[in-house]
Amino acid sequence: MPATVSQLKRTAKMLFRWSVVNETLDEGRARVVVQQVLQSKRRGYFTVLSEFQRLVKLQEARQTAKIDSAVPLQSDLQAQIRESVERVYGQTMNTKFGELPELIGGIRIQVSNDVYDGSVKSRLAALAAKFGIPSA
Amino acid sequence: MNALILLAAADPGSQVQQIATTFGVDWPHLVAQIISFCIVCFLLHRFAYKPVLKTLDQRRTQIAQDVVDRDKIKVELEQAEAERRRIMVQADAKATRVIEEAHAAAARLLEQEMQKAVSVAEQTIAKAKEAALLEHDRMLAELRREIGALVIEATAAATRKMLTPDDQRRLAEETVKSLARAA
Repeated sequence: MPATVSQLKRTAKMLFRWSVVNETLDEGRARVVVQQVLQSKRRGYFTVLSEFQRLVKLQEARQTAKIDSAVPLQSDLQAQIRESVERVYGQTMNTKFGELPELIGGIRIQVSNDVYDGSVKSRLAALAAKFGIPSA
Repeated sequence: MNALILLAAADPGSQVQQIATTFGVDWPHLVAQIISFCIVCFLLHRFAYKPVLKTLDQRRTQIAQDVVDRDKIKVELEQAEAERRRIMVQADAKATRVIEEAHAAAARLLEQEMQKAVSVAEQTIAKAKEAALLEHDRMLAELRREIGALVIEATAAATRKMLTPDDQRRLAEETVKSLARAA
């Protein structure tokens, strides 16, 4: 009996839950899931893998804190930021540091949908809004 | 005549007697003449006088009727004249009223048109003022935006040059603190 799209998505969700251990994505389990699905080649396996990939990306975004700064940050400052992020979002958070000169000064921390923007650029954007200048 | 006969009898050879004899009464002749006269009178009365009198009576009656009719016509004519005068007066009054109403209507219309024109002019002036105000506001807003853009651009350039590593660190630590406060 052919499975519907919603059934395939439910299957992908089940496999994803199995891949998550202690609210953290287990890469080994995720690889096993992908290999097993590819080998089975059942009807709708591509839909299952697409949904699985989407869920993995969402999980990765939830577990990753992206920190952008105008200038390279010293290692002690990076550690301090990492510690703060883990204190707020949990020990399983990954942190990615990046350099974004257009920020002018300060840093911007983004975790999933949460953004903590302390950059000079954001402050200038707020000032521009007060002048009625549309944000670029 | 009897006196002549008596005179003739009193004096038979006289001139009176001759006259009486000559002009004596011939009774049969007289009676015949009387009868003839009566017949003539009757015929005249029957065939001449009576139709003439009847015609005259008819004429008289006709004339009297004509007089009555004339008087009646005269009265009617006077009534008609009076009616004509009354109608003329009424028509004159009506025409005067119509003219007055027309004048009043024209005055009202003129007043309405004046008010309309004044209203249109006021609306036009109000719109022009509003447009001028909007344009003024728009120019002010545009000026504010331009000045703001210049200020921001200058601030960004100056900040980029002025920020020291310590400033960068302080800014980063402020963000970390805000993250901690969010927890």
